[in-house]
Amino acid sequence: MKKQDISRSIEKVDSREKISGAAAFTSDIKLDGMHYAKSVRSPIPRGRIKQVNLPSLPKGYVVVDHRDIPGENVVKMIHDDWPVFPKTEVAYIGEPILLVVGPDKEKVAELADAVEIEFEELEPTFGFTNSAIDLHYDKGDPDRAFETAARTVSYEYETGYQEQAYIEPQGFVGYLDEGTYTLVGSIQCPYYVKNAVLATMAADEDDVRVIQAPVGGAFGGKEEFPSLTATQLAVALRKVQKPIKFIYEREEDMIATTKRHPSKVRMEAALDENNNIQGLRAHVGLDGGAYLGLSGVVLSRGMLAATNAYTIDNVWVDGDVYVTNTVPNGAFRGFGAPQMIFAIEMFIHHVAKEVGEDTYTFRTRHQVSQGDLTSTGGVYRDPIILDEMSKKAEEISDYHRKRKEYEDPDTFKGIGMSWFLHGCGFTGSGEQEKIKARVKLKKDADGTVRILVAAVDMGQGPKTTFRKLVADVLDLPLEQVLFPYPDTRYVPDSGPTVASRTMMVVGGLLARAAKDLKESWREGEVQEAMQRYKQPDYIEWDQDRMKGDAYPAYSWGVNVVEVEVSKVTYEVDIKHVWSVYDLGKAIDERIVLGQADGGQAQGVVGLGYLEVMEHEGGALKQKNLTDYIIPTAVDMPKTENHIMDNPYPLGPYGAKGVGELTLVGGPPAVALAIEQAIGRRVRKAPVTPEYIMELIHNG
Amino acid sequence: MADITFTLNGERITLREEPNLRFLDVLREKLNHTGAKEGCGEGECGACAILLDGHIVNSCLLPLASVDGRDVVTIEGYRMTERYQMLEKAFIEEGAVQCGICTPGMMIAAESMLRENPDPTDEEIRHGLAGNLCRCTGYNMIIAAIRRAAKEGEGLW
Amino acid sequence: MVRHIIPKTYREALEHLKSGSLHILAGGTDLMVQNRAWSETPVAFKKDTLYVYNLEELRYIEREGDMLHVGALASYDMLERHPDTPSALKRCIALLASPGLRRVATLAGNIGNASPAADGVLVLYALDARVVLDSADATREIPIEEAITGPGRTAFEDGEMIREIRIPLEDFDSERFKKVGGRKADAISKVSFLGAAAFDGDVIKDLRLALGAVNTTVVRRREIEAQYQGLTAADLKARSQEIREAYAPYVRPIDDQRSTATYRRQVALNLIEDYIHSL
Repeated sequence: MKKQDISRSIEKVDSREKISGAAAFTSDIKLDGMHYAKSVRSPIPRGRIKQVNLPSLPKGYVVVDHRDIPGENVVKMIHDDWPVFPKTEVAYIGEPILLVVGPDKEKVAELADAVEIEFEELEPTFGFTNSAIDLHYDKGDPDRAFETAARTVSYEYETGYQEQAYIEPQGFVGYLDEGTYTLVGSIQCPYYVKNAVLATMAADEDDVRVIQAPVGGAFGGKEEFPSLTATQLAVALRKVQKPIKFIYEREEDMIATTKRHPSKVRMEAALDENNNIQGLRAHVGLDGGAYLGLSGVVLSRGMLAATNAYTIDNVWVDGDVYVTNTVPNGAFRGFGAPQMIFAIEMFIHHVAKEVGEDTYTFRTRHQVSQGDLTSTGGVYRDPIILDEMSKKAEEISDYHRKRKEYEDPDTFKGIGMSWFLHGCGFTGSGEQEKIKARVKLKKDADGTVRILVAAVDMGQGPKTTFRKLVADVLDLPLEQVLFPYPDTRYVPDSGPTVASRTMMVVGGLLARAAKDLKESWREGEVQEAMQRYKQPDYIEWDQDRMKGDAYPAYSWGVNVVEVEVSKVTYEVDIKHVWSVYDLGKAIDERIVLGQADGGQAQGVVGLGYLEVMEHEGGALKQKNLTDYIIPTAVDMPKTENHIMDNPYPLGPYGAKGVGELTLVGGPPAVALAIEQAIGRRVRKAPVTPEYIMELIHNG
Repeated sequence: MADITFTLNGERITLREEPNLRFLDVLREKLNHTGAKEGCGEGECGACAILLDGHIVNSCLLPLASVDGRDVVTIEGYRMTERYQMLEKAFIEEGAVQCGICTPGMMIAAESMLRENPDPTDEEIRHGLAGNLCRCTGYNMIIAAIRRAAKEGEGLW
Repeated sequence: MVRHIIPKTYREALEHLKSGSLHILAGGTDLMVQNRAWSETPVAFKKDTLYVYNLEELRYIEREGDMLHVGALASYDMLERHPDTPSALKRCIALLASPGLRRVATLAGNIGNASPAADGVLVLYALDARVVLDSADATREIPIEEAITGPGRTAFEDGEMIREIRIPLEDFDSERFKKVGGRKADAISKVSFLGAAAFDGDVIKDLRLALGAVNTTVVRRREIEAQYQGLTAADLKARSQEIREAYAPYVRPIDDQRSTATYRRQVALNLIEDYIHSL
């Protein structure tokens, strides 16, 4: 049988159950004797808990708090500052202090409302002052570059919060099964959850089981945050000894779960007499919120993207995570890169304008090439087709002609282009040192092959693409390869579903396992094939100094956005987006194009323009889907997206990372278009009509 | 308590319940129809959408009292129809399903708009979906699916 | 203990209203959100609630001469379909909320809710609509600008409910509805505008300018409109700055989670000026 190109799209295996409403999301699960948990939250941004006054609790209703924790009162992530239930101090508005649990929701709600907590209010901290993590890297001799510079240019950029706004709020259903804490939930990382619960419950490996339910969107918001709800739930299960449903209401989810870190990035360029950037200094500031969570890693990834698609020989990058009394911030598709790429893309255009050069020529001159050093002195070993991609994008969008035409300020139209990269996988030796991914294929006697990995399908398609991949390598029909929902009882830890690593790393391991299985296939026998991640030899990374190869591979993208701005209302009509992406090889073209559409909605239209979230005194002003504006179908521009193959030798069929690439370049593309339309320098995203009006009136 | 009678997916039902229950909760908890989802609870996301007398409404904003004497179709009933099958085929072929949480609501929205306007323009499709939020797909493939179903399903609507 | 009352007839509803202060729930799109409780628990109405959605007697749109009578239960969806609905109102409905909300939401409900940002109410102010209120023993009719007294406040007494809205039907030579929301669909207005003009030859015989979401109620200043009657479009354009400044004192928006006072103020006045230039 002639083999089809792996990119050729097939029917997604879970479409029917989702279209029909039959797929059972966490909130659809019903168990006998189910109890319900409701959080009682802090109304203040910072304070000491003086006294908790509970209403009288009827039989069957309990309060669960820090006193009920058998193990560590720490949500196990990277740092140990995030409590499962705060004992003495609260650190943000909305922080869950305790749970009320019982069999009747009306009663639980009534009791939760009747809990009175006395606080001694303390002075909260906001803004970019209290640094809890600081990182640094450098390359070459930036001091010298600045000392000998013919001129220097510097600007500051800002980005705001972004809320993941998955349509399915967070939640778990938990129960005890012969002493095993069994948690079924809407999650990205079954083993993050398991490990957190093990620590909080001081439990044995076999006593905790985590199962992924269908996930109604995640985008990073269900990466580390569920470890908090899961540990709280496990503590409650131990106390109540009954099944418990723990689902967040939308407003809870909006105010109290992790968001994209607001950022302030300061950029400074040292130029020689030929207007070449010889040195770049950057400072990245992230508002981490009350607890550190993954903020250090977000900062790291952001900092690493400082030079983006440009080669600059001398680089000095500092970064800080500031702790504030606001909701802890965390993972969101892009993970620090959108903030940095907004800054560097805007900056490189602003530098060009400052020195009076055509921005396109200026950027092209600095464009990265294969063999160049990365921001941290690693090497871009693989072919880079960015130039070809850009030419394609320019052609389909008619970029140059429009750019010239829209120079006329009366048109109030603009066209903007961004180039960007995304490092695939965990930084540096993270895969080797931290994750140590393992995958397993289990073959039954009848020849059915089960994929046993912890990778979560949250809409991006591994339920389909993994089966496709393994079936293709094994030369079997798709129906003979199964990929059940990850259950930690049965699957090894293949790592979290994050960092655009799922296809490249986990898929890569599955492809190798499948190859082994194929070669050792014995009809009628039960067999297993396992693979463990091994870091490619060429990766050299010094974590402390942030030097070397930060990533094993890079995906690349070009976004072009055309806009028209209203002179009367300052609203932006985003008319068209054109994109070209290099993600190595699409394991399913339509799925990848779907990622492009979704990433652009969140990047170009969302973070670039519509999505505003602000706090005042630690209280978020936009607390529901009415006030937090995400795009509707009417808000989406026309789009044209192309994928260009550039196979990566160590990725399955050449695949690299996709999931985040399609978001990270969006905000600067639309911001640059708006900048041209209004003739003013844009320094903040989202580029709201209010901000546009301010720029027009104040320059 | 009140006796509320309505037709659910072709079957006449009388419930004796509090009139101020949300119909979404009546469907999900009392009648075990979990196809309608709660995404926001305030009529913004459309994941709770059902057909009331043939037109899309947000069941999270519908008190049980208002359903009295009316005809309700949920995704559980709709999926028995030929129109559903045409839309299902189109959604699959166009890649319109990612995480799937919005999808039943999108199907309801599609039916509601196509029965009024069997040959909509893209702009009309977009406006017909204005009350159904999707965070995964950027809507393009959903719009393509509805366009396709309208075209290939000529005569169905 | 809150009572839930489902009247079988309009008469019965009016009788129940005599008992005190009740929520009157028509489409429910405001009340169900404002009183929402935890999922799977009953909606937490604080007052006795009268469910009138199924009073078919109030579900009508009828034209009598040059007046449109819109029953309290006529949804925005019904209005959009009806051939006699004024074009200004149709323009507004096309951008209002979402299909699912338009299916049940009503003008009467939005009047009762009295949000300064309600687009439908903006149109009613511009079209000189009147509200007919019934109680068990009486009826009265008041202009829309007397019906709403402030954000969330109406002139309605306990015991009264809206039976219908009366909209005079006029032909305008120029009409513009502009909604500025947070996005292109399904958004609450930051600022909204309705401008309409009728000409007699080349002079204005009727000028309407109304702004929403920029004060405690809709801004409509008949005395300013009257000043420009009898002038030509060219005259008005020449005086657009003056007209803009005439409205400035009445544009008093706030900062909130949707937008800023500065933006709303600027855009509201821009919209007026831009409309004048379009005549």
